[in-house]
Amino acid sequence: MAATRQAPGGAILLAALALPGLAGAENAPEQASISLKYLDYQDRQPNLERVGVHSPSLELVLPVAGRWALRGALVSDLISGASPRYHTAVSGASRFSEKRNAADLSLTRYFARASATLAAGRSKETDYDSRFVSTQATVSSADNNTTWLFGAGVANDRIDPVNRAVKDEHKRTLDLMLGVTQVLGTRDIGQLVLGHVRGRGYFSNPYKFVDTRPRTHDQNSALLRWNHHFSASGATGRLSYRYTTDSYALRSHTVQQEYVRPLKGGWTLTPSLRLYTQSAARFYFDPVYDTRFGAPFPPGFSFAARRDLSADQRLAAYGALTAGLKVEKQLGRDTTLDFKWEQYWQRAGWRLFGSGSPGLERFSARSIQAGVTHRW
Amino acid sequence: MVAEVLQEMDTFSVPFEAMASQCEVRVGARGQDHARRLAQAAIDEVRRIEAKYSRYRDDAIVARINALSGHDWVELDTETEALIAYAQTLYHSSEGKFDITSGVLRQAWDFRNQRVPLPDELARSLSLIGWYRVERAGGRIRLPLPGMELDFGGFGKEYAADRAANCMAERGARHGYVNLGGDLHVIGPQPDGSAWQIGIQDPRDPGRIIASIPVRRGALATSGDYERFFEHEGRRYCHILDPGSGYPVAYWRSVSVLAPLAIAAGSHATIAMLKQEEGLAFLEQSGLAYLAIDSEGRMHSRDAGQ
Repeated sequence: MAATRQAPGGAILLAALALPGLAGAENAPEQASISLKYLDYQDRQPNLERVGVHSPSLELVLPVAGRWALRGALVSDLISGASPRYHTAVSGASRFSEKRNAADLSLTRYFARASATLAAGRSKETDYDSRFVSTQATVSSADNNTTWLFGAGVANDRIDPVNRAVKDEHKRTLDLMLGVTQVLGTRDIGQLVLGHVRGRGYFSNPYKFVDTRPRTHDQNSALLRWNHHFSASGATGRLSYRYTTDSYALRSHTVQQEYVRPLKGGWTLTPSLRLYTQSAARFYFDPVYDTRFGAPFPPGFSFAARRDLSADQRLAAYGALTAGLKVEKQLGRDTTLDFKWEQYWQRAGWRLFGSGSPGLERFSARSIQAGVTHRW
Repeated sequence: MVAEVLQEMDTFSVPFEAMASQCEVRVGARGQDHARRLAQAAIDEVRRIEAKYSRYRDDAIVARINALSGHDWVELDTETEALIAYAQTLYHSSEGKFDITSGVLRQAWDFRNQRVPLPDELARSLSLIGWYRVERAGGRIRLPLPGMELDFGGFGKEYAADRAANCMAERGARHGYVNLGGDLHVIGPQPDGSAWQIGIQDPRDPGRIIASIPVRRGALATSGDYERFFEHEGRRYCHILDPGSGYPVAYWRSVSVLAPLAIAAGSHATIAMLKQEEGLAFLEQSGLAYLAIDSEGRMHSRDAGQ
């Protein structure tokens, strides 16, 4: 029997799953769950450990009356490391340490073939206060083979840097999302999500002396995903591609492949690989400095003319590679342990479709996350 | 009409009768009251579906559609519309063998008086069969020929088992199953985590189990030639009728299928019966686990995860 042909069995089962009151596309969680995770992140450049993050988090999901789900999460980040610098090539950074606390709450109502979610959250640091509200809805077709996804959110950030470079600055963003998920036979699912983010306000880095960014930042993105189930091994392959383009003239491409492999004894292994490349923002300048003023001023810098400028490495042209491995172990019926390791490498020379920004130091990061989830 | 609740360690069994079958809800619970509440929700749901899709009650939707055959459209509610969409999938997946308009053959086949119909009786019934003739538009349905009938009996019991199991799961049940006359939906394993051992009846000896299948979660349904049949001049006539010839199928004694939902398991089992010698290829292609016994008594099976 040709493996590519959709088996009638699959079609019948899919049609059965579409019946009301059985198992639709949108299922309210049947069990409550609590997750405790701990993330340890450290990035580095040659001979320099930069930012480290220690971040415990707690997530609680509570089903309510079979039709509702309430989800709440708390995160606390302890960030320490070298303070922001002009270009990454410049060394001699001082140390800093900072704490961020964030909380968010969402409520979802599940219908026979649809769901609606309302969410709100807040994140607070000494110099940065961010609040958001968002709403999301999904609607599935009668056969449940097609699901539409709509989302909208607004965020309002207040920036009050301790160095008083600016005072009581604001940033407002509006986030719109439109997506469609399509079942393609019994083993494949495809998804397309289009996003638009419209930002107004203060986007500069107040801790960098020469960092002036436009007060508008708009971004468009397209995400294409394809999941394939291998029935012989029970494994799932997840391939995705994301393209973004923004008003800074920064374009990026991301390709990611994950392979979820269940093994005997309740183990699951998920290796992943991600390729990323981006062009530089049009106002990014390379680490070449004015002969009169020296670093951090770019050549021809004038104090009189206010023009957009940034030396932030994140706005440079570069390529990056991320390799990861997630190991999960099911303990009994209701408890899961997970451990995830990721290593990120970034090089200017790895940029695709063009050359990378010159003079950028190599950059790498490592993150380890361990967690336990219990359901009841 | 809940029968007495019998305590067996911490699982409780509640037998009842519905859809002309012996039924049972078995559930792991914290005590009799809890078990009774869970079981009652499941039994209420079975009774709701039984009443709603009965062919004999004038106020039932199916009776209304059939009563207006050859005349008018009938407005469908969401649940009925979904079941009709499901029936359409079955029709296409079985190449027309599973047809919910084939219930009119019951008029020609009299199982009570054990009589083989005359050719013109059969021809009259056959002329009223054909899912492709049914008119559907904007949540409404119309049977174009007077005397045409819809019948949800081919999957109603299995659908009720799934819905009833879901009712219990929504109320927190994690262990147990709903068994409607041999079509089962297992919510979860026994309270100690071990699988339920589900016996499969010998199609020629009602008192004998020919196989025992461990099921922790999911559904098991069986279609067989032994539920309703008569023998005439040495030939067995069962109630599973081919909508093309109008005659009972004869290739399989019984087909049992394991699937995540009882309605999917039962539909596969029935389509395999209807497809006769092609039924085995159909089951193989489905990828589901099955146990089929052919007319010679030979067993054909495929395990889960093969």
